[in-house]
Amino acid sequence: MQQYIAQRLLLMIPTLFGVALFIFLLMRVLPGDIVEIRFTSEGGFVSEEMIQIERARLGLDQPLPVQFIKWMYGLIGQPSVDAQFPFIHLQAPDLGVSMWTGRPITEEIAIRFQLSLQVAIMGTLLSILIAIPLGTLAAMYQDTWIDYSVRIFSVGGLAIPSFWLGILIILFLLNTFNWIPPFIFTPIWEDPGKNLTQLIWPTLAIGYSYSAIATRMMRSSMLEVLRDDYVRTARAKGLLEHVTVVRHVLPNAMLPVITVVGLEFAFLLGGLVVTEQVFNLNGIGKLFVEAINHRDYTLTQALVLLVAVTFIFVNFVVDLLYAAFDPRIKYE
Amino acid sequence: MNDTSAWSTLKHLLLEKPLGAIGFYLIVLMILSALLANFISPYNPLKTNFGNALQGPNFFHWMGTDTFGRDIFSRLLHGAQTAMLIGFSTSLLGSILGALLGVMGAYFGGKVDLILQRVLDVFMAFPIIIMALAVVAAMGTGTFNLIIAIAIPIIPRVARVVRSSALAVRQTTYVEAATALGSSHSRVILRHMMPNVMAPFLIMITAQLGQAIVLEASLNFIGLGVAEPTPAWGLMLRSAIDFAESAPWMGIFPGLAISIAVFAFNVFGDSLRDVLDPKLG
Repeated sequence: MQQYIAQRLLLMIPTLFGVALFIFLLMRVLPGDIVEIRFTSEGGFVSEEMIQIERARLGLDQPLPVQFIKWMYGLIGQPSVDAQFPFIHLQAPDLGVSMWTGRPITEEIAIRFQLSLQVAIMGTLLSILIAIPLGTLAAMYQDTWIDYSVRIFSVGGLAIPSFWLGILIILFLLNTFNWIPPFIFTPIWEDPGKNLTQLIWPTLAIGYSYSAIATRMMRSSMLEVLRDDYVRTARAKGLLEHVTVVRHVLPNAMLPVITVVGLEFAFLLGGLVVTEQVFNLNGIGKLFVEAINHRDYTLTQALVLLVAVTFIFVNFVVDLLYAAFDPRIKYE
Repeated sequence: MNDTSAWSTLKHLLLEKPLGAIGFYLIVLMILSALLANFISPYNPLKTNFGNALQGPNFFHWMGTDTFGRDIFSRLLHGAQTAMLIGFSTSLLGSILGALLGVMGAYFGGKVDLILQRVLDVFMAFPIIIMALAVVAAMGTGTFNLIIAIAIPIIPRVARVVRSSALAVRQTTYVEAATALGSSHSRVILRHMMPNVMAPFLIMITAQLGQAIVLEASLNFIGLGVAEPTPAWGLMLRSAIDFAESAPWMGIFPGLAISIAVFAFNVFGDSLRDVLDPKLG
């Protein structure tokens, strides 16, 4: 197991390196000079000299390999002085400085990460809370009206994009209560009530959309397990149906759903880009759109990398969880 | 897959899968309204008329008008053009490139396959929308760039699925025979292997279509897609937020259009998968 974990962690390195290289090249090699685009979009006359100065300030006058190595160097962190643990860097990686605001990117992200993370976690939990009971019911009462209603509900989740559901929620709140959720973020430990009145709505929008695939998965995996031999045995020895389902079917049927939900969590960070826009939430997603609008290449680069790292890491954790929940799976 | 079998597959789907049939007819309806938008829409979708601004649904404007007095129903019909153009071109472009890469990986095997797989891994490490946004960030907005941005994240996903089918095709005797006859690599790949991975290829195209339309709407919605005044569903929703109170119809009808489109492509795609490849169900 330990060997497997080590192997997986090592395999992440080339993928992450590839991701970093891809993003870096995408931002630099494609036509259009960052500085020129930024100056012309601001309007007014700009002299060649000013462009050169700005390029030098941002370090864009250096050869590409030098720029890339510098970026990587900051990411990995300065070589540790601590000789005993040369591989452990507790200091946050240096992501550079935002081209637009001039503030350190780590700082820009840190302020907003809290909000996005909370919505992502709550959205994932909500989608589990919807998917597991509904999927179970649909499978237990297959081809009855219960099953059909659940399936229609979950197809709806697929077809209604979370940003449209968000707009509908806002329309509903406005027209029924003449109220819209507050725009200012309050951390949950400061005032949970205030925090939830703001974040419960995007959670609803996202949770419903993301429950769709998980519900379908839960239903089909329940149907499969319900036909297994050990379930027949459990029934044959006279166990009550709900005991059979809770003890024998559910734990096994939930396994594939873990994978789906885990992947969704990683996707949520991406899905937030649009949903945060609807609710005017100042999170990672909004920062991302702002970064692109301002042509803030360093910030865009850092955010894409952050999402990719989360994505790869969550995949890895899901694989491990899978092994932890299913004794039949052994990673050697 | 020749014409008659494609036709019989479709006939089978329409008769056996009611939900898939509904999806199919909705898709046909959307394609028709996209093609005929110029003839059937009651108003010019771009013509502003401030005297008519923010009218609720009524006899003259079935779905009301927007802030510029433009007829929402006409804009929805023309928005179908944008959605269908971008949806079909991106999923076709992404799926064809993806299928080529997948088949090439399976055909050449060894190092080529290994490198291709690693590169695809890198591309799969991004959620679709993040990948598309990164491309938009680098290339800028506009219809053409939007198509590229949506097509790129589709490539690795199709390549994966097609590659696994192509691995089996690679082992067949007709590929062996073609190779023995001295056919060139490109001939074996294009004439012998590609036609035989048609089933997963078609499944992936329809599966990506719904997603491509959501993605197109999302990018338009956050203002990184096509530019005003082009009628596009996501863009229409974008302007609706500010008028949520005074003109809720601005946010309801374009969203319904997106949902119907995604629903149609999803249920049609599901049924097509069931019919073409019951194992994948």
